[in-house]
Amino acid sequence: MKIARYGKNMTIFMMISWRNMWRQKRRSLVVISSMAVGIFAMIFSIGFMNGMTVQMVENTINTTLGHIAIHERGYQKNMKLKYNFFPEERYYRALERSNLIKGFTPRVKIKGMISSSETSRGIMLMGIDPEREKTVSSIYHYTIKERGSRYLSDASSDEILISKYLAEKLELEVGDRAVFRIVDENKEMTGFAMRIAGLFESPVEAFDSSVVIAGIKRLQKLSGLGDNVSEISVRTKNKNAVDAAKEYLIRAIPDSHREILSWKDMEPSLIGYIELQDKMIYIFFMIMFITVVFSIANTLIMSIMERFHELGVMKCIGTRPSHIFFMVVFEAVNLGMVGLVAGLVITVPLVLVLGVTGIDFSFAIDAMRKWRIGTMVYPLIFMKDIIAATVTVLITTVVASLYPAGKASRIKPLEALHFI
Amino acid sequence: MAIINIQDLVKDYDTNGIAVRALRNVVLTVEKGEFTAIAGPSGSGKTTLLNIIGGLDSPTSGTVHVVGKDLAVLSPKGLSDMRLEKIGFIFQAYNLIPVLTALENVEYILLLQGTGKEERRGRAMRILEEVGLGKEINRRPKELSGGQQQRVAVARAIVSEPELVLADEPTANLDQKTGAGLLDLMHELNHRKNITFIFSTHDRMVMDYAERLISLTDGIIVSDEKKKSRREGAVITKPKKMKSKR
Ligand SMILES: Nc1ncnc2c1ncn2[C@@H]1O[C@H](COP(=O)(O)OP(=O)(O)OP(=O)(O)O)[C@@H](O)[C@H]1O
Ligand SMILES: [Mg+2]
Repeated sequence: MKIARYGKNMTIFMMISWRNMWRQKRRSLVVISSMAVGIFAMIFSIGFMNGMTVQMVENTINTTLGHIAIHERGYQKNMKLKYNFFPEERYYRALERSNLIKGFTPRVKIKGMISSSETSRGIMLMGIDPEREKTVSSIYHYTIKERGSRYLSDASSDEILISKYLAEKLELEVGDRAVFRIVDENKEMTGFAMRIAGLFESPVEAFDSSVVIAGIKRLQKLSGLGDNVSEISVRTKNKNAVDAAKEYLIRAIPDSHREILSWKDMEPSLIGYIELQDKMIYIFFMIMFITVVFSIANTLIMSIMERFHELGVMKCIGTRPSHIFFMVVFEAVNLGMVGLVAGLVITVPLVLVLGVTGIDFSFAIDAMRKWRIGTMVYPLIFMKDIIAATVTVLITTVVASLYPAGKASRIKPLEALHFI
Repeated sequence: MAIINIQDLVKDYDTNGIAVRALRNVVLTVEKGEFTAIAGPSGSGKTTLLNIIGGLDSPTSGTVHVVGKDLAVLSPKGLSDMRLEKIGFIFQAYNLIPVLTALENVEYILLLQGTGKEERRGRAMRILEEVGLGKEINRRPKELSGGQQQRVAVARAIVSEPELVLADEPTANLDQKTGAGLLDLMHELNHRKNITFIFSTHDRMVMDYAERLISLTDGIIVSDEKKKSRREGAVITKPKKMKSKR
């Protein structure tokens, strides 16, 4: 009963603090706008980071990682040609049965050397089924389809796709032949030449500089693998379905020689990076908001000095110290929340628009490709970021108001009354 | 029982090591329903006495009972609650919360007391009409004249029908005519609602309104007389039998 009454009183103090906030409009607006700018910086850079991270992950998945891969056990630790397996018909049937899975494709991966008349480099030869590959990776989209460059026509031809980057390094052009040397299944060194059918360009530098794509059947023959493959790469309908699809496959393909891993299992450093980035950004903003704490505390102290007399009156007529305390805290929270809303009103539409149009970073193309991002960044904000901003503002303002609120609540009514 | 009972009250102020005795062995009882003025020259201790009665200041020695409670044993929170529940305050000026309207200022007390919304609004409106501000209820203090502000302060002081209203020079900032109007109002409320009023003044005209006049000089009560109010019987028709509403 007493507590209910106390709580009901809070609405009047919220109202008083709201109106108090607008008594010194200019001063409050300074605090509100600094808050809004802080929120803008926070949401915008979080959006930017999110966009980069998502693109980094997407690009890695879209080049070779896929969502899920089926390997011979041991391949993940040591990507050697000897870890190959025969893709049984029942694997494919299991993959086709699941409605979580959008596509899947077999691949062969062989380490080797590529040479032109100029130079040679260590690379990874990746054998693909050109049609199936389209359902899993974006290699088809990365392929340049002009000036004679085109995608692979079939899985057994003598053609390869090579990145524009490698072509330039090796001084090769579409139609030229490149020479390869590999160590085959029988540990024999073999060499062969293949013709460049097309060039590709992905957003991932590491991929472009180290992968050459050929037909899977041709590579199986050249390496002596027969019908065996290095992996079956799987794409799920969306990223949220990955874990469920992995569980499904582990149950559907109960073979102890197979290893079924999701992209998170295969690239744990990517997850580590995302987590680290999340933490860093919050620490960064906590530090940034410390300055906001001082600006709010300062404003509140000035307000309290100006209202010394009326605080005295309020106390004389029976207002409890805790009421005054909350009134000051509310005023800070009000300032923060108005700043938050103002900040969000500016930032969210901007981020949403830029999320569609993207921000062009082609001037920093090399760095962007190193980080697997591509040249455009599409900022992206999640609900959790808005909630984090709100919590940050709440914590900041409450912390900022504690000292002034404590001071105000301890004002001696008589002294304050004399003060006009 | 007396509403105020003061025994041997002494109050010393210490300013830079020099003790100033503001009140000397004050003995005073006030009965319910009295309309009392405390008069005296500047520095005679009027404000000090009212503040001690209101629990805003503490005595150096002596005992003070207000509404049956010994103020010395009350905690700060207890004193705060007593001021809220039992005492109405009117100060010299700037009594009101600037960001609240006249109506909200009056409602404020009832709200702290936990009165429900409907009743609160109704009572505050009625009181504001009684003090002649029925049309100004939605104005903020700065949109009211000094006299109107003091009327709102009176309305706020009595809206919860307290036992006692303490008014420290309530008319000091008002012109003669406005001051007289405010005193008429206080006097009428004193009669109709049987609320005890104690106000301080050094204005002859104001003293004339009192039914009891206590004179202070240098912290000593030099005279204490029951008398006829100037306006009594002229404006106010006093009901035969007064009964508290509660
Ligand atoms: N807070 C204080 N600190 C020190 N001395 C004080 C304090 N308040 C009052 N005094 C002293 O106590 C004495 C009585 O002061 P008080 O304010 O009660 O007089 P008053 O009768 O109300 O005067 P006025 O008519 O000018 O309001 C004065 O000598 C005054 O200087
Ligand atoms: Mg005084």
